[in-house]
Amino acid sequence: MRKIEKDVADRYFRARVKLIVTFLTIGFLVSFGIVFFAEPLNQSGIYILGMPAHYYMGAQGAVATFIVLLFLNAVINDRVDRKFGIDESRNEQISGGGSDH
Amino acid sequence: MDQQALVSLTLIILTFALYIGISVYHRAKVTSDFYVASRGVPAFWNGMAIGGDWMSAASFIGMAGTVMLMGYDGLAYIMGWTGGYLLLTFLLAPQLRKFGRFTVPEFIGDRFDSNVARLIAAIATIIISFTYLIGQLAGSGVVIGRLLSIPSWIGVLIGVFIIAIYATLGGMKGVTWTQVAQYLILITAYVIPIVFMSLQITGNPLPWLTYGSVVDNLGAIDRELGLSEYFAPFDEGSRAQFLALLFTLMVGTAALPHVIVRFYTVSTMKAARWSGAWALLFIGILYLSAPVYAAFSRFVIMNDVVGQPLDDLPAWTEAWVNTGLLEITASGEQGELMWEDLIIDADIVVMATPEIANLGTFVIGMIAAGAMAAALSTAGGLLITVSSSFAHDIYYRLVNPKATDARRLKAGRIAIFVATIVAGILALDPPGVITQIVAWAFALAGGTFFPVLFLGVWWSRINSKGAVAGMLGGLFTTLIYIFLAMNGFILFGIEDTGAGVFGVTVNFILVFVVSLLTEDPPQHLKDEAINLRYPEQMTYEEGEVWMDDSSGK
Repeated sequence: MRKIEKDVADRYFRARVKLIVTFLTIGFLVSFGIVFFAEPLNQSGIYILGMPAHYYMGAQGAVATFIVLLFLNAVINDRVDRKFGIDESRNEQISGGGSDH
Repeated sequence: MDQQALVSLTLIILTFALYIGISVYHRAKVTSDFYVASRGVPAFWNGMAIGGDWMSAASFIGMAGTVMLMGYDGLAYIMGWTGGYLLLTFLLAPQLRKFGRFTVPEFIGDRFDSNVARLIAAIATIIISFTYLIGQLAGSGVVIGRLLSIPSWIGVLIGVFIIAIYATLGGMKGVTWTQVAQYLILITAYVIPIVFMSLQITGNPLPWLTYGSVVDNLGAIDRELGLSEYFAPFDEGSRAQFLALLFTLMVGTAALPHVIVRFYTVSTMKAARWSGAWALLFIGILYLSAPVYAAFSRFVIMNDVVGQPLDDLPAWTEAWVNTGLLEITASGEQGELMWEDLIIDADIVVMATPEIANLGTFVIGMIAAGAMAAALSTAGGLLITVSSSFAHDIYYRLVNPKATDARRLKAGRIAIFVATIVAGILALDPPGVITQIVAWAFALAGGTFFPVLFLGVWWSRINSKGAVAGMLGGLFTTLIYIFLAMNGFILFGIEDTGAGVFGVTVNFILVFVVSLLTEDPPQHLKDEAINLRYPEQMTYEEGEVWMDDSSGK
């Protein structure tokens, strides 16, 4: 065990929060945002992959975006971990088996 | 028994044998096996198990039909039931995993150091999961019953018998690997029929990229018939109801205890993040396919059934009219069938597709096995959750904290066995209210748990009084609004299924107000909350952060 600067730990936390806020905002826009403007979108005649844009986003676009966001989150967070010198195998040992309450 | 029933039955029996084989191989030996599979499930496989856990009989059988009948408005289910995984993976799962307990009530009880909160959470978990479980078992009975032409109560008994064996034996460890197998079976069964149907309708084996033209075509057909277009938004309700339902489904998904507990089975926060990503990929395959089913089946009905003379309907319609899932109320005006003359049950879409596309007995049998897999995999996860709330949260943590590991394992097995039998008996003749409660499960779970879990993870100032007030207030607000909405009192055009909006709002407000008006939580609880910000290697204690980078023990 060694003590690290609270500052460093907070930077780790802030990096993660920033990612979460960004991803959730995008996720919110492609679902709630599109639904909110579904009627004007329907009238606008914009098409994606052969179907009206608002329908496409509900049936496929939003879900596909969610999946991409979750993988980006996993990959980028691994990078953040590496940058701060976090060693996943040590994490596994620490949490290994979990606290058996 | 005809040839079709024989093929279906053989496939179902083969899959049952597989499930029992898996649980014998992976049987639980200690409590940690039984509740969290020893926290050793790799993220990829956990993602697949979450897929099996999540996708219920209703997702498999009913969702495509709902989209077909409701058009654009049905897409709230597609986005809501997938979007919940964003909230869960970003806001809750990794932190709950680091906290490291066995159940959701245990997190709530320990995080706020309050046995009252623990008991409320345990009871709410049992109510939500148990009604959902009855819905699954009843659903599996209906599926087996219809496909094998036997009474549905025999179907229920078969399902209960199988699941009692494998869940009791294997616990979470056995259930995890059966869920993986069940996911693979259900997704194969779901995708094969639409690939063939796509070949027949568009000539392309990848329907996801090409069904857009079919959707557009459906709009044109509707215009011609003077109906409102298939993709017209908010045809069945209002924009407010769509948004409220979407919100309710998302927070409900993120707060359902049987889903959260699957994230306890992996080793670290990182593995929890990857589990969420894999899970949504595997779930997405089914959710992206449901609107394809919807479009194709509506296309076939519009072209081959609607507008046809009444005495010249396609052969496949007759069998479904006989089951009562398809009703033709034809006035016979001008001798042609109108869209308005059809009363279509949402369940028909997935089950009738193989017949419509002439795919033969084997594929129909696969659909049967897939629907069973969907029902059983969800039921397995729910059973673990119900029994752990009894045996772990109530018996071990509240009644007898000195119980030995062997005794706790036994208590878990007894609880799971009893829960299966009781749920099975209730599912034989489910009270009508059950299907309703299943539809409300998301509003109830979201309204009770989501704000408390979210703030429990992210806000160190929350205290036990705030948490208790929030859970009770959220639960009762949701219940009261559902009751009022059922009796015609509607606020902002939001119906009973969107009640989560009110429950979650009241819950958040109560947690904030009550926590801030009452005393600060003890320092060690605040520290535990701040500790959740960092990976396992970093520990927060009394304002200082420690890094454990010694190698090995």
